[in-house]
Order: sequence, then C-alpha cells, then structure tokens
Amino acid sequence: MKQILSALLLLSLSLGAAAQSRRISGKVTAKDNDSPIPGVSVKTAGKAIGVQTDAEGHFTIEVPEGVTSLEFTYIGYQKISVPISGATVNAKLESTTSGLNEVVVVGYGTQTKREFTGAAARISGALVKDAPVQSFDQALSGRAAGVSIASPNGVLNNPPVIRIRGVNSISLSSYPLVVIDGIPVNTGNISTSTSVPNNPLSDIDPADIESIDVLKDAASTSIYGSRAAAGVLLITTKRGREGKAKVVYDAWGSLTKAARLPKLLDATGYMKYKNEAVYNAKILGGNENNSNVASALFFPNYNADGSLVNTSWYDYIYRTAYSQNHNISVSGGNKTTNYYLSANYSNQQGFVVDNEFKRKSLRFNVDHEVTKWFRIKAGGAYNTTFNQSQNTGSLPNSTFLLIGAARLATALAPNVSVYNEDGSYNLSSTGTLGMGNNLVTNTLWNAKALFDLSSYTTENDRFQGNVGGTIKLPYHFELNTTYAMDRLRTENNTWLSSQLGSSGYSVGGSATNVSALRNNWDWASTLSFNNKYLKHHVTALLGYDVQKFETNSWGAYATVAADNFFTNYEGSYTTVAASGNGRSEKAFISYFSRITYDFNNKYFLTANFRRDGNSALGANSKFGNFGGVSVGWLVSEEGFYRRLNISHVVDNVKLRASWGRVGNGNVSNDYASQSLYSASLYGSAATWYLSQAGNPDLAWETSKQTNLGIDLGLLNNRIQVEGTWFNNDVNGLILSAPQSASKGIPDNAILMNVGSMYNRGWELGVTASVIRKENFSWDAGFNYTHINNKVTALASGNSDIIGYTHTSSEASNVTRVGYSVGSLYGAKTDGVNPENGRRIFINKAGEKVQYSAAVASGESNWTYLDGTTASAISASDYYLLGNALPKWYGGLSNNFRYKNFDLGVNITYAGGNYVMNGTKATLRDQRFYNNYTDISKRWTTVGQVTDIPRLVYNDQISNGSSYPISANVEKGDFLRLQSLTLGYRVPSRVFGTSGITSARVYASGNNLFLLTGYTGTDPESSSNGNSNTTPGIEKNAVGQGRTFTVGINVGF
Amino acid sequence: MKKIYLYIGLGVLLGFSSCSEKDLLDTVPSTSISDANAFGSASRILGLVNGAYDAVKGASLYGGRYLLYCDVRGEDFINVTANSYTAYESWNNSYNSGSNDINNLWSQAYTAINNANILIAGLSTSNGVISDTLNTQYTAEAKYIRALCYFSLVTVYATPYNADQGASKGLPLRLHAETDGSNNDLARSTVAEVYAQILSDLDAAEANLPDSYSSDLLNTTRAHKSTAIALKTRVYLTMSNFAKVVEEAAKIVPQTTAPFSTTSYSVKHALQPDITTLFGTTYTTTESIFSMPMTSTDSYSGQSAIGYIYNANSEYYLNPSGILGNAQWGSSDKRRSLLRVASNLYYLKKYAKASPYVDYIPVIRYAEVLLNYAEAAAQTGNLTLATNLLKAVHARSDANYTFADADIATAAALVATIGVERRIELLGEGYRSGDLLRNLQTIPAKGSSSLQANAVEPSASNYIFPAPNNELTTNKLY
Repeated sequence: MKQILSALLLLSLSLGAAAQSRRISGKVTAKDNDSPIPGVSVKTAGKAIGVQTDAEGHFTIEVPEGVTSLEFTYIGYQKISVPISGATVNAKLESTTSGLNEVVVVGYGTQTKREFTGAAARISGALVKDAPVQSFDQALSGRAAGVSIASPNGVLNNPPVIRIRGVNSISLSSYPLVVIDGIPVNTGNISTSTSVPNNPLSDIDPADIESIDVLKDAASTSIYGSRAAAGVLLITTKRGREGKAKVVYDAWGSLTKAARLPKLLDATGYMKYKNEAVYNAKILGGNENNSNVASALFFPNYNADGSLVNTSWYDYIYRTAYSQNHNISVSGGNKTTNYYLSANYSNQQGFVVDNEFKRKSLRFNVDHEVTKWFRIKAGGAYNTTFNQSQNTGSLPNSTFLLIGAARLATALAPNVSVYNEDGSYNLSSTGTLGMGNNLVTNTLWNAKALFDLSSYTTENDRFQGNVGGTIKLPYHFELNTTYAMDRLRTENNTWLSSQLGSSGYSVGGSATNVSALRNNWDWASTLSFNNKYLKHHVTALLGYDVQKFETNSWGAYATVAADNFFTNYEGSYTTVAASGNGRSEKAFISYFSRITYDFNNKYFLTANFRRDGNSALGANSKFGNFGGVSVGWLVSEEGFYRRLNISHVVDNVKLRASWGRVGNGNVSNDYASQSLYSASLYGSAATWYLSQAGNPDLAWETSKQTNLGIDLGLLNNRIQVEGTWFNNDVNGLILSAPQSASKGIPDNAILMNVGSMYNRGWELGVTASVIRKENFSWDAGFNYTHINNKVTALASGNSDIIGYTHTSSEASNVTRVGYSVGSLYGAKTDGVNPENGRRIFINKAGEKVQYSAAVASGESNWTYLDGTTASAISASDYYLLGNALPKWYGGLSNNFRYKNFDLGVNITYAGGNYVMNGTKATLRDQRFYNNYTDISKRWTTVGQVTDIPRLVYNDQISNGSSYPISANVEKGDFLRLQSLTLGYRVPSRVFGTSGITSARVYASGNNLFLLTGYTGTDPESSSNGNSNTTPGIEKNAVGQGRTFTVGINVGF
Repeated sequence: MKKIYLYIGLGVLLGFSSCSEKDLLDTVPSTSISDANAFGSASRILGLVNGAYDAVKGASLYGGRYLLYCDVRGEDFINVTANSYTAYESWNNSYNSGSNDINNLWSQAYTAINNANILIAGLSTSNGVISDTLNTQYTAEAKYIRALCYFSLVTVYATPYNADQGASKGLPLRLHAETDGSNNDLARSTVAEVYAQILSDLDAAEANLPDSYSSDLLNTTRAHKSTAIALKTRVYLTMSNFAKVVEEAAKIVPQTTAPFSTTSYSVKHALQPDITTLFGTTYTTTESIFSMPMTSTDSYSGQSAIGYIYNANSEYYLNPSGILGNAQWGSSDKRRSLLRVASNLYYLKKYAKASPYVDYIPVIRYAEVLLNYAEAAAQTGNLTLATNLLKAVHARSDANYTFADADIATAAALVATIGVERRIELLGEGYRSGDLLRNLQTIPAKGSSSLQANAVEPSASNYIFPAPNNELTTNKLY
C-alpha cells in the first residue's frame, strides 16, 4: 500500500516537474483571531494532490504555469480560493460555524450540513471550556434553538434541567441521551444524599470537548431508537491533528456571591411583628382577658456590652466563594498517528458555606493509521471528582427538611445570637437554636453549629475508555467496531456529629458510607458503504450495538458514636446496620441501519431503522421497532432558482422534512415490569413482602415526530436562518398509574402504558456576521423556540396525576388532560378580606370562604363571608393554577471583536409560564420564623386593601405554608444576562522567542442581571429538579449565584 | 487480499450474534424474588407471614405513630413545636385530606391488609409446601392482622359505631389480594359491615391460631388464641356490646377476684408485679399480649420514632390540667415513674430508650383486657367483679390507694372511674381517641400560653379523620 502511495506521489511530482512551474509560499491564518492554522490543505484548483501547512501555518507549493488561484480547505473552515499575485499568497480562513460544509455528527457517523435533513444543532466546545461551571451541560443555556437549559438551584454540580423540545414523557426522564465518543453514559444525579448532588457529567472536563451535537427530531434520533425520545447530546472529545505538537494552557479563577436574597426583618422588626401576631391570636381566640394566654412571646436579648442581639444569619450561611480551574493539553501528530493529551484541575467553591467541587482528570486520545486500509483509534480518561455540600433544602425531596440551609437563612430568629457569651453554640436542650428570652419552642437548627457538626460528600472515581478499528473494504465498504467501557465508582459519605447542635444528636451521632459501582460497557459495530457515482451519492450503514449497565451499591449506617471525636464512618460506633444496598443490571441490544442518498447535491434522503431490545420492559414486549425518514431539497442549486432575482439576496435555500418514530423505555428501575417480593426484618425475624406490583405488558412509550424546516443563507451566507416546525405525538406514556390506596399496592402505583400528549411548536435560529472588517467584527446569534405541550389522555378515566413536592401534603402540581404536564396546583385565593384581614379562598363550588387561624372555642376557623360556618379548604377544592412549562425560550448572543479585543454577550430568556413562589410562604410564615420586610404591608385596619393577611401567630394556612395557594403563583417570564466576556488577545510580537504562539486574557461575569417581574429568588428554580410532573416550584431553595471570572488561554 | 477482508467481515458479523439476546435481556433481580416464587418454600411462606406483621409495624401504624395520633388528640398532652410532621394537626384536630399523617396511616394499614389478603389467597392455593395445620394457622394469623388493621382504621376514619349503630359509611372493605391495576373503584361498606367483618375474622382467628409459640418473643409478637380474644374485648367494647366483652374476657380472665390470669391456654397472661418492667426492661412478659418488636436493625428513628418525639425531642408534655392532675393518680403511684420532669413539665417516658429506639410498641396488654372487662362488668351490673378488676390494675402500681365509695358505688360512677384508670394506665398507648369517640364525648380544649387547641364536638366534621386524597382521587366510588 505504502509503495503505491509513494509511487503516486513520485508520479505527481515528476509530472509537475515536467511542466513549467513556479514556487508559491505563504501563510494561512484564522480570520477571527489571526492564529496560524496547521494542516490546511493547499492545492491548485481541480488537482487532487496538494500540500499541507506546517505548524506555523506556512506552506510552499509548486504550481504549473497558467494556474491563477490556490484552494485552501480545512475541516471546520470555509473553503476559499485565493488568486495568485506574486510569489506569496496569504490566506485567511473563516470558520464555518454555520456553513453548509460544516460537519454534523450524527448517530454512528457524520454528515455535512448540506446533506443533513433532520433537525440538529452544533455547539462548539469553545463555548463551554471557559465557563465557570462544573459540567458542560450547565454552560449550554441559550446556545441552541429548541434546547432549554435551566439551573434548578445554586448548589454546585446539580444536574441542570434540560429539555429538548419540551417535556417528552411524564414518568420517565426527559433528560436527553448523552453519548460520549460513542458510548451512552449515566446521567442524572447519582448521589445517595439529598444534601449534595453529583452530576456524573461533571466527570468530563469541559475543555476536552471538541463539539456538542444536539439531535432534536426523530429522523435524526431514531438511529438511537428507544433511547432517544428526549433528544440526544453527542459529545465528541478533542483529538490530535497532524502537525507539530501544540500545547494549550487554559486557566480561570472566579468569585461567586449569592444574588437576589430577600431582605429580612432585623431583631427589632422580628419582635414587633411576631408579638403582633401573638396578640392577634390571643384576641381572636377569645382570650383577650385570659391571663393564661400570653400577649407577647418574643423578647430582646442583649450582648455582654449591653447592645441588642441582632444576628444576620445570611453571614453564616452564604459566603463569597472562590474557584479556580486549570487545564493543559498537548496535541499533534504526523501523517499516520495523532494524539491528544490533557490534564485538568478544578477546585470550586459554592456561595453556600461548605459547598465544594473538585476535579482532577487526565485524558488521552490517539488515532493511528496502521495501513492504508486499517485504522485504530483509542482513548481513555480517568478522573476523580469530589462534591461536598451542607443540606440546602434545594435538591428534590429535601424542601421541608429542618436542616435545609436556604430556609434556615431566612427563618432563623434574628434576635438571638449564634454563640453564647462563653463561645459555645447557642442551643436549646434538644440541640435546635436556643431562643434566649423568647418564650417559644424553635424546631430549626442553629445553622453555624449544624454546619460545623456535619458533612455530606460524594466522590467519583471513573475511568472511561474506548478502542476501535476501521477497516476499509473493497467496493467502498468500511467496517467499524468500537468497544467502550465506563467504570464509575462513587462513594457517598455522611457524617453527623454526636454533639448537641448536630442533627445526629438524637441518634448519638451517625456516619453513613455507601459505595456504588456503575459498570457500563458498549460494543458497537457498523458496516458502511459510501460511494458517489456520477451525480448519485449513496451511503448505507448496518449496525449492531449491545450495551450493558450494572449497578451495585452497598454500605452501612453507624449510629451512637463511641466518642464525639469521630468524624467519619471508620471511627467507633455502637450500632451498625446495612444501608444503600442494591444490585441491578440492564441491557440493550440493537440492530440498526441507515441509508442516505443524494442526487446532484440537490435532493437528499435519509432513512433510519432500529430494532431495540430492552431488558427492563415486560416479558411480552421487550423489543420494539423504530425508524424515520427525512428528505431535503437544496432549492438554491436549481437552475430556475439561480435565475430568480431573489437568489442574489438569498444564496442558499434548503427545504427539509422528516417523520420518525422513536421510543422511550428508559425506566429508572431495571426490573420495572416485574412483580417482586423483597426481604426485610420483623424485629429479628426474616420477612418477605410485596415490594413492587409489576406489569408484564409494560412496553415502550412511542413518539411520532414530524419536522418541517427551511434553511436560508442570505447576503453571501452572512446571515443564516433556520426555521423548523415540529410536532411530537407521544403515545403509550408510561405512567405510575395511581392506585387506590385501599388496594395496598406498594407506593400506590403500577407502571402502565397509558396516556398520550403532544409537543408542538416551531423554532428559529439566526446567525449573522453583521460586520466583518479587518479590525472590527460583529457576529450575532439569536434563537427562539415556541412550544405547546398538551396532555391528551391519561390513565383509567383520565384521572389527574397529582405531583407532590417532597411530602404528600404539598400537592403542588397536576397533570390533567387538556393542559400541559405538571401544571401548578393548589388552593385558589381571592386576596384578603378588607373587613377583617382574613385570607379569602375559593372552594370547589366557587364560593368565597375566609380563614382565621385563631377563633374562640365553638367558632369555626373557616367561614363564609357572612360569618356562617364553612367547610375547610382541602385538596378536593384545589384548582389548576397555571401552566408551569415555558411556552417560549431562547438565547441571544453577540460577539464583537475590535483589533485584539473581543466582547461576548450571551442573553437567555424564557416565559409564558407560571412559577409557584413557595418561598414567599416561608417568608410570610406566622410561626416563630423570621419574615421579610414586606410583611409590614400586612392587614391592620378595617377597610385596608392589601395582599398580606392579618398576622395571627401559628397561622400556617393563610400564606401558603401548609399547602400551595394561588396568591403565590407568579409569572415566570425573564431575561438574563447569562454571561458577558471581555477578552484581549496579546499581540504575537510580544512573545518573541518565548515559544508562546498565542495568549488571550479575559474577564467575564455570569448571571449579571435578571430582568423579571418574578419576586422570588429565581424564576428558573426548580425544587423538584428534573421532575416532569412537578416543574415550576420554588420552595426553600437557594437561587443562582453571580460569578465574576478572570482567565487566560495560552498556546505554545 | 480480498479473501482476508471477507474473513474479517465474517468474523465480526459472527461476533454480533455470539451475544445471546436471551441472556442479556431476561434479567432477574438478585435481591428480590418474583411473585411466582413467593410461596415456593416453607421458610418463604413464614417470611410472608412475618412480612404481614411487619406491615402492621409500619411507622405510621403500630410502629408507633398511630398511637401518637390517638393520644395527642385527647386532652392529656400539650404540643410544643407546632410541627405538622410530629402530629401537630392531630393535636389541634386540623387534619385535612392532604395531610401526610392521614394519607400515610391509611396507606400503611391497607398495605398490611393487602399483605394479609395476599397471604390468605396464596395459602388457599398452596399445596404440599407446608402442612395443612400450618396453612390453617397462617391463614388465621393473616385474618387477625386484617381485623386489627380494619379496626384501627374504622375507629378514626369513620363515624363512631355508637353514633348510629354502624349505619354510616365506613371503609372500602378489601378482602381480596390486589396485585395489578384493576379494582380501583370500590364503594365503602357501612361501619356495621366493617365491624362484622372484623369480628368474623377474629372468630376465625381464635379458632385456628395456636395456643402458644415456642418462645416468649413469639408469644408477644405473633398472634395466638388469646391475642384474638383480647382484641375482641376491645372491639365489642367499642360497639358497647358489653355482654360480648364479658363473654370474651372471661375466656382469658376466668377468675372473679385477684390475682387474675389466663389459665385455659398455655400462655398464662397476667399482670406483672411492676409495670415499669414492661417499658424498657422485659418486653415479652405474659402481660404484653401483642407488641411490635424493635431491634437495632429494625427500628425507627427521628420523627418516625415516637421515642424521639415524646422523649428525645420533648415535643409533647403532659397537660397539667389533664390526667396528670387527677387525684386518682397518686404521687406514689409507680406509673408516675414512667414520667420525667424537666423545667416543671412532665414528659412521657414509656419509650425512653435513646437511639436506636428499640422500645417495643405495645398493642394489647393484659391490663387493658382487665379494664375492658371491668367496664363491661360494671355496665352489665356486676359491680363487684368490675371493682375487683379495677383495683387489680390500680393496686399493682399503687397498693395503698383506696377508692372513695362514691367513685365505685354505682355503675355510672364505676364506669367513670374505670375511664380515669384507663387514662392513667394506658397513657401514651393510643387509647384516648378511641375512648372519647366510642362514648361520643367532646374532645376537650387544651393549650398552653402559646398554643391552643379548641374543643371538638361529636357533630363537628373534624371529630373523625378526613378521608385521604390518595383514596379520594383514585376511588370514584368512595
């Protein structure tokens, strides 16, 4: 083979030498940053053989007489042709971030954008590598049409809420399938604690990512069949390129502070309003003259110097956090072997005290051409990540925990101190915050003592590797096989001190260690065909993919520490019990194929088919068939179009249409379809009990998706427009169909295929090179998605599915036929009665009833406005209070470059939804909780019109603490300055002979401002994380921080 | 050259098919068993029996919190924390259909009922795995469990039997195993029908339960004949069917004068000399007819443990104007040593073990049977027997106390005195709500300077617990 190549080379050289020729040299640089580009192919037009630029971008080429121009091509850049005028030809290549020749990574292969007929978006790794985030997915906000990404809270490394074209399931995850270099990986939160999150995607160093391709429509995703109903994120890591070794060092340091914290009452205000509530309760309870009932319960405490104790709990719970991240990579290669090696160190702090994230990682990718017909590629990455956080009450299922820091920050009494005079913690006899002279019992913890006396960590050890080969076969066939492994060991540790003030005091201190091993391997092989014959271009793919996930976890829970010296499980404890044990496995077997055909680069057709087997589904329905067809027409290539006047303005017109059917069988439980009995203990006797009622017919959810789109290139392709209409009908939704509690079925639910819904909408993406001058350029990108979700059928009789926030008393969402999934739910209110300051509710009959938390014996708490007794408002009186899913969202980015300066502005926006500001209920809570300063607007006098009811001590209903009320529902529309970055590229002359080839310094700010009418901390908050059925709830959670970053990128 | 390609291609294709679909896709869990194997061996069936008991031991039910709800509704405890996760809504009778306690208690009791029904159904078709004797016995145990759960539900979620002789709507009466998605809708049977089912189950249980088990632990934690009989005395008392109480009680309390003890069956139930030994020392004496066992590996913690709520976290203290101040509870009464004092407030320490909370939770004690019997005897005119039974219980803890004649002279006075004795003897064991409701008495008001709970008349809707949402939203016939 080698000889043949050499011979060809010799032949071409000798041919060149035979003719009259001249020598041209020059340099190729990137247009946007003037950095040299190595490896660019330089050739004369129409000739197959050319030369490549060296590491500094220099080239020399012999060209025959008569040749007037040179062609420069390089992947990721627009091909240009430069006329020859003298012996030197310099070229500036423009990145083709939106050109038709841009490569799109599709499942098990690549296509050019020209050929691609589905709906996808590509996000360059450059956009995520400098962002002050833990995992790349957090940095994707507003970057692509149809892709919505929100941060549910401000705790480090929690999985963002990702929705590709909306919520596509009810009970199953709506998180897209994430495929890293060919292997689908675990996503979600793998921590076992509700205190500290652990998003396994943070194991990927964002700087290692070359590109992120988002597949959105069924025709693109159906090659992933049943795995892809929520879309697919294809992550490609960086690989080496031919040329001299290139070394890149990136580093950033940042500072984060809490943003938009509510303004709270100080000690004086606290006592004033609490005592007002106590006195109101006394009067309303008919105890005005009863000396046994207190008139005031809150009294001042004084410091040793006689000053009033006035504690700001924010100072003990929030902090200014500092983070740093360093990355270094070496890449390069020769004609046959390319390599990429990188190392990352990240040490990040969250703005909640004790919140930390650390990562160390190494990655190595290598490609080698063994022979002309055989290539191998391999890669491996090892990392450790460490997460630590106190309980913030922000993660799913922690909203009402008494240890939740976000609620402690607002609710703890400001008129008592953190410490006693002797320096010990100020604590009650049970270890909660001591209330000093206040005569009430406090159930909340002293945050300082709680933090000092507990720790929650989760740490990953992970190796991901893959090895594969490609064999070129005759007749344009190619055989490809890749084996990938992903071995992730997680250790979750919780320690609660035995000392008073710790939440573990009552159990004598506790320590829990749970170790989990997630072993995941995938073997995929494809046989592909690719040939052009005249104007026909055909590719075909036949493949087989088998993947297995095994999850084993085990651990122990130790209580009653022998001594409060111990701060970990390895210490000595009296009682030890098993904890967190589990063992499960899941396998997928898939056969798939794809055929693409294009004629004359104008007409394009792609068809996919996949047959999937999934071990988690019912014995009667393990296999499913999926597939899709898409067509495209490059109208602008037609002769008739070229003759139209409009073709001078609109250079490119492409029409796309696709239809496909994908499935969703991503049940979180690997044995979801089976009826199972589990073992436990009755005292010391062994037991078996029904732990899961199964359904042998449990099958896939199926999505039928239709996609119609148009791509336009205007004004010499300076403006690129993509518009797409889509409709996704999801049928056979897997629901945890609620069962009557009196049936005694475990969890009162059985998984069944019932129900259907649709997501319908359109998306628009525009990118424009507004100005492109030598010294100044302005690129703008805008995307907009409009989406309408509607449930069309549900389980037996279409009965509502109620979504709960943490506890069954907080019925916060409802999924109801005719409305969007997880609409807000709760009691309907109608302001405050100006006559008596009572909250007015609307019962199910539409009647107004008012509530008073305190009434004299014999009176009713609930009355009609005329004073007659009414029934209490209960869940049967709840109304659907509003749509919780954003109806429109998107992003706007602007990148300016002036000489060596660059400025990036990234704005995200969303709206059309409502958010339950549950935190407002806490800020108005009439127990011993502190309130926000707005409480001064409470009702005090007859005739006063206000939205805050009369203060009555221990009133938990009027403001929404006991259950959600419509008074706390607010519009969620917002516009956020996601990031603002100012960079400066150091001129290359500065470097001299230092070996440095490029350097850029930058400063950026994230979440700098939020324009919204929403009065809570953040309209993107989600107390229930990624849950489909309980979105739009903000309750007792920490919002997002505001981050300022400075960084440097240096190339050698 | 081309042949090599062919071989490689074939080799890879063969590799595809070498992974067996069946091996990969037919996964079975290694930590639980499928329904097909549940009745596969004698030890598994015994495991299912214990599993049904364990469901009764759920935290919301007899794991402890059911007792808490029933006690704090009454007038003998004052709430401190106003925390709805530790029964504040029960204390001030403000439960609604969405309340956690209401939903969890209902679910847990019906889970135990379904476990019992699964057991009954499985045993009726199981052949040859266990002996017929054992099969009959296990069925009887399941019926006992089902009866106990229905009784526990009907006394809080339904109009008291005595209000209208059970004519009101009661509970959905589930008597068949439920393991699939059908049968969500089921109308409520009347209270009388529920009681009839409870009694029929208990009669069947009495007939087929063993006299005794092989150990004190089993005699206390699994049902034997006397257990079913003892529960019947409570059920009939709740229905004010005093003659039947007397009839049932006499089976396990054959004497008419102290000392009282069971003689007809091999477990010789009797009062222990010192009541405090039952709480914290020896949980499996003959006085503890039925209790929930706790071990360090199978116990509850935090808000699920009533030991935490009453004692470790001091969330309820004894109302000074409740039973604590009653003259019948003398200062030298041994039962006062089941209280502790802190800052002049009295706290219950029947569940006093620090974490892990391994105090057994009592469900039926011989002392209760004696008091049930005493009340029924008084109501049926046998004042002497009633007085003897009352005195036996009281004198065990306070031998020097003499009842005033006025307190025991008439049937009415004696019944009232027995009622007071129940509050002293059974404090914190979950009886107060049932005793108030079966007598159709107003739940008295109570409170401290900071928290008050109003009185609840029998006519008020919150006199009983509201139906839970998890039933209302799914059972259209409720």
